[in-house]
Amino acid sequence: MGTATSYPRFVNRLSRCAARSPRVYYSWLGAVLAVLVLASSPSRALAQIELSWTPSMIKGPASAPVTIVEFSDYQ
Amino acid sequence: MLEEYDGRVRLVFKDRPLAMHTLARAAHEAARCAGAAGKYWAYHDRLFAAQPAFRRSDLLTYAAELGLDRDAFAKCVDERRFAADVERDIEQAQALGINSTPTFLINGRPVIGATSIEEFRSIIDRALQERR
Repeated sequence: MGTATSYPRFVNRLSRCAARSPRVYYSWLGAVLAVLVLASSPSRALAQIELSWTPSMIKGPASAPVTIVEFSDYQ
Repeated sequence: MLEEYDGRVRLVFKDRPLAMHTLARAAHEAARCAGAAGKYWAYHDRLFAAQPAFRRSDLLTYAAELGLDRDAFAKCVDERRFAADVERDIEQAQALGINSTPTFLINGRPVIGATSIEEFRSIIDRALQERR
Protein backbone atom coordinates (compact mmCIF):
# COMPACT_ATOMS: atom_id res chain seq x y z
CA MET A 1 0.00 0.00 0.00
CA GLY A 2 1.53 3.27 -1.06
CA THR A 3 1.66 6.60 0.79
CA ALA A 4 -0.19 9.76 -0.28
CA THR A 5 2.83 10.93 -2.26
CA SER A 6 2.51 7.92 -4.55
CA TYR A 7 -0.92 9.05 -5.77
CA PRO A 8 -1.26 11.28 -8.83
CA ARG A 9 -0.65 14.98 -8.12
CA PHE A 10 -4.29 16.04 -8.45
CA VAL A 11 -5.32 13.44 -5.86
CA ASN A 12 -2.78 14.82 -3.40
CA ARG A 13 -4.02 18.35 -4.07
CA LEU A 14 -7.62 17.33 -3.48
CA SER A 15 -6.77 15.67 -0.21
CA ARG A 16 -4.89 18.79 0.95
CA CYS A 17 -7.95 20.89 0.08
CA ALA A 18 -10.19 18.54 1.99
CA ALA A 19 -7.94 18.86 5.04
CA ARG A 20 -8.31 22.69 5.13
CA SER A 21 -10.71 24.34 7.53
CA PRO A 22 -14.15 25.01 6.00
CA ARG A 23 -13.60 28.66 7.04
CA VAL A 24 -11.17 29.04 4.14
CA TYR A 25 -13.91 28.14 1.69
CA TYR A 26 -16.48 30.34 3.42
CA SER A 27 -14.17 33.35 3.10
CA TRP A 28 -13.68 32.64 -0.62
CA LEU A 29 -17.43 32.32 -1.05
CA GLY A 30 -17.88 35.65 0.76
CA ALA A 31 -15.43 37.37 -1.57
CA VAL A 32 -17.17 36.01 -4.66
CA LEU A 33 -20.57 37.14 -3.35
CA ALA A 34 -19.20 40.63 -2.59
CA VAL A 35 -17.93 40.95 -6.16
CA LEU A 36 -21.31 39.86 -7.52
CA VAL A 37 -23.18 42.36 -5.32
CA LEU A 38 -20.86 45.22 -6.32
CA ALA A 39 -21.22 44.29 -9.97
CA SER A 40 -25.01 44.55 -9.73
CA SER A 41 -25.16 47.61 -7.43
CA PRO A 42 -27.02 50.81 -8.48
CA SER A 43 -23.82 52.88 -8.40
CA ARG A 44 -22.51 50.85 -11.32
CA ALA A 45 -25.72 51.51 -13.23
CA LEU A 46 -25.56 55.23 -12.39
CA ALA A 47 -22.36 55.61 -14.33
CA GLN A 48 -23.98 54.13 -17.41
CA ILE A 49 -27.12 56.24 -17.66
CA GLU A 50 -27.23 59.65 -19.28
CA LEU A 51 -30.02 61.75 -17.78
CA SER A 52 -31.98 64.24 -19.83
CA TRP A 53 -32.96 67.49 -18.10
CA THR A 54 -35.85 69.83 -18.82
CA PRO A 55 -34.78 73.49 -18.44
CA SER A 56 -38.02 74.59 -16.74
CA MET A 57 -37.48 71.89 -14.08
CA ILE A 58 -34.07 73.16 -13.00
CA LYS A 59 -33.27 75.65 -10.24
CA GLY A 60 -29.83 77.12 -9.77
CA PRO A 61 -26.93 77.97 -12.08
CA ALA A 62 -25.37 75.48 -14.49
CA SER A 63 -21.99 76.43 -13.00
CA ALA A 64 -22.96 75.15 -9.53
CA PRO A 65 -20.39 72.62 -8.28
CA VAL A 66 -23.12 70.46 -6.74
CA THR A 67 -26.08 69.12 -8.70
CA ILE A 68 -28.97 67.47 -6.89
CA VAL A 69 -31.19 65.38 -9.11
CA GLU A 70 -34.46 64.66 -7.35
CA PHE A 71 -36.68 61.82 -8.53
CA SER A 72 -40.01 62.39 -6.88
CA ASP A 73 -43.69 61.55 -6.97
CA TYR A 74 -46.31 64.25 -6.37
CA GLN A 75 -48.82 61.85 -4.85
CA MET B 1 -31.75 75.39 1.02
CA LEU B 2 -30.74 76.49 -2.50
CA GLU B 3 -30.68 80.06 -1.21
CA GLU B 4 -28.50 78.99 1.69
CA TYR B 5 -25.91 77.62 -0.72
CA ASP B 6 -26.19 80.68 -2.95
CA GLY B 7 -25.36 79.49 -6.44
CA ARG B 8 -23.27 76.51 -5.36
CA VAL B 9 -26.13 74.01 -5.67
CA ARG B 10 -28.40 73.27 -8.60
CA LEU B 11 -31.62 71.25 -8.30
CA VAL B 12 -32.96 69.15 -11.16
CA PHE B 13 -36.42 67.72 -10.70
CA LYS B 14 -37.26 64.43 -12.40
CA ASP B 15 -40.68 62.80 -12.64
CA ARG B 16 -40.99 59.47 -10.90
CA PRO B 17 -44.73 58.83 -10.41
CA LEU B 18 -45.14 55.40 -8.86
CA ALA B 19 -47.54 52.97 -10.53
CA MET B 20 -49.52 52.51 -7.32
CA HIS B 21 -50.35 56.24 -7.26
CA THR B 22 -53.06 56.28 -9.88
CA LEU B 23 -53.44 60.07 -10.11
CA ALA B 24 -49.77 60.93 -9.96
CA ARG B 25 -48.90 60.60 -13.62
CA ALA B 26 -51.57 63.12 -14.66
CA ALA B 27 -50.23 65.51 -12.02
CA HIS B 28 -46.69 65.19 -13.37
CA GLU B 29 -47.91 65.81 -16.91
CA ALA B 30 -49.91 68.83 -15.71
CA ALA B 31 -46.83 70.23 -13.98
CA ARG B 32 -44.99 70.13 -17.27
CA CYS B 33 -47.91 71.96 -18.89
CA ALA B 34 -47.47 74.62 -16.22
CA GLY B 35 -43.75 74.61 -16.98
CA ALA B 36 -44.43 75.28 -20.64
CA ALA B 37 -46.40 78.33 -19.49
CA GLY B 38 -43.54 79.49 -17.26
CA LYS B 39 -44.98 78.38 -13.90
CA TYR B 40 -43.33 75.05 -13.26
CA TRP B 41 -42.09 75.62 -9.73
CA ALA B 42 -45.19 77.45 -8.52
CA TYR B 43 -47.34 74.58 -9.80
CA HIS B 44 -44.92 72.01 -8.38
CA ASP B 45 -45.25 73.58 -4.92
CA ARG B 46 -49.02 73.74 -5.30
CA LEU B 47 -49.19 70.03 -6.12
CA PHE B 48 -47.14 69.05 -3.10
CA ALA B 49 -49.36 71.20 -0.91
CA ALA B 50 -52.53 69.69 -2.40
CA GLN B 51 -51.59 66.02 -2.61
CA PRO B 52 -53.35 63.70 -3.24
CA ALA B 53 -56.13 65.84 -4.77
CA PHE B 54 -55.16 65.35 -8.40
CA ARG B 55 -58.41 64.87 -10.29
CA ARG B 56 -58.59 66.70 -13.60
CA SER B 57 -60.76 69.43 -12.10
CA ASP B 58 -58.24 69.92 -9.26
CA LEU B 59 -55.35 70.22 -11.68
CA LEU B 60 -57.21 72.86 -13.70
CA THR B 61 -58.15 74.77 -10.57
CA TYR B 62 -54.53 74.95 -9.39
CA ALA B 63 -53.51 76.25 -12.81
CA ALA B 64 -56.21 78.92 -12.72
CA GLU B 65 -55.13 79.93 -9.20
CA LEU B 66 -51.66 80.60 -10.57
CA GLY B 67 -53.06 82.76 -13.33
CA LEU B 68 -52.63 80.26 -16.14
CA ASP B 69 -55.06 80.22 -19.04
CA ARG B 70 -57.55 77.55 -17.98
CA ASP B 71 -58.60 76.49 -21.50
CA ALA B 72 -55.07 76.29 -22.85
CA PHE B 73 -54.01 74.37 -19.77
CA ALA B 74 -56.96 71.97 -20.08
CA LYS B 75 -56.02 71.35 -23.72
CA CYS B 76 -52.43 70.56 -22.75
CA VAL B 77 -53.59 68.18 -20.00
CA ASP B 78 -56.24 66.47 -22.15
CA GLU B 79 -53.87 66.01 -25.08
CA ARG B 80 -51.35 64.55 -22.67
CA ARG B 81 -48.79 66.72 -24.40
CA PHE B 82 -45.98 65.79 -22.04
CA ALA B 83 -46.79 62.12 -21.49
CA ALA B 84 -43.70 61.01 -23.40
CA ASP B 85 -41.46 63.30 -21.34
CA VAL B 86 -42.80 61.92 -18.07
CA GLU B 87 -42.40 58.41 -19.44
CA ARG B 88 -38.79 59.14 -20.35
CA ASP B 89 -38.05 60.23 -16.80
CA ILE B 90 -39.68 57.06 -15.47
CA GLU B 91 -37.60 54.92 -17.81
CA GLN B 92 -34.41 56.68 -16.73
CA ALA B 93 -35.32 56.17 -13.08
CA GLN B 94 -36.01 52.50 -13.69
CA ALA B 95 -32.74 52.12 -15.54
CA LEU B 96 -31.02 53.53 -12.45
CA GLY B 97 -32.93 51.16 -10.19
CA ILE B 98 -34.85 54.03 -8.58
CA ASN B 99 -38.11 52.51 -7.38
CA SER B 100 -38.90 54.60 -4.33
CA THR B 101 -39.38 58.29 -3.85
CA PRO B 102 -37.91 60.64 -3.13
CA THR B 103 -34.52 59.53 -4.37
CA PHE B 104 -31.79 62.11 -4.77
CA LEU B 105 -28.55 61.94 -6.69
CA ILE B 106 -26.08 64.38 -5.22
CA ASN B 107 -23.30 64.70 -7.77
CA GLY B 108 -24.33 61.21 -8.80
CA ARG B 109 -24.34 59.75 -5.30
CA PRO B 110 -27.73 58.28 -4.38
CA VAL B 111 -29.60 59.38 -1.25
CA ILE B 112 -32.76 57.35 -0.85
CA GLY B 113 -35.83 58.43 1.10
CA ALA B 114 -36.75 61.46 3.15
CA THR B 115 -33.57 62.83 4.70
CA SER B 116 -33.17 65.39 7.47
CA ILE B 117 -31.96 68.89 6.61
CA GLU B 118 -28.84 68.28 8.72
CA GLU B 119 -28.01 65.12 6.83
CA PHE B 120 -28.57 66.90 3.53
CA ARG B 121 -26.28 69.76 4.56
CA SER B 122 -23.62 67.29 5.53
CA ILE B 123 -23.81 65.45 2.18
CA ILE B 124 -23.79 68.71 0.20
CA ASP B 125 -20.86 70.09 2.23
CA ARG B 126 -18.92 66.90 1.54
CA ALA B 127 -19.72 67.15 -2.19
CA LEU B 128 -18.56 70.78 -2.20
CA GLN B 129 -15.29 69.84 -0.50
CA GLU B 130 -14.69 67.11 -3.07
CA ARG B 131 -15.08 69.70 -5.84
CA ARG B 132 -12.46 72.03 -4.37
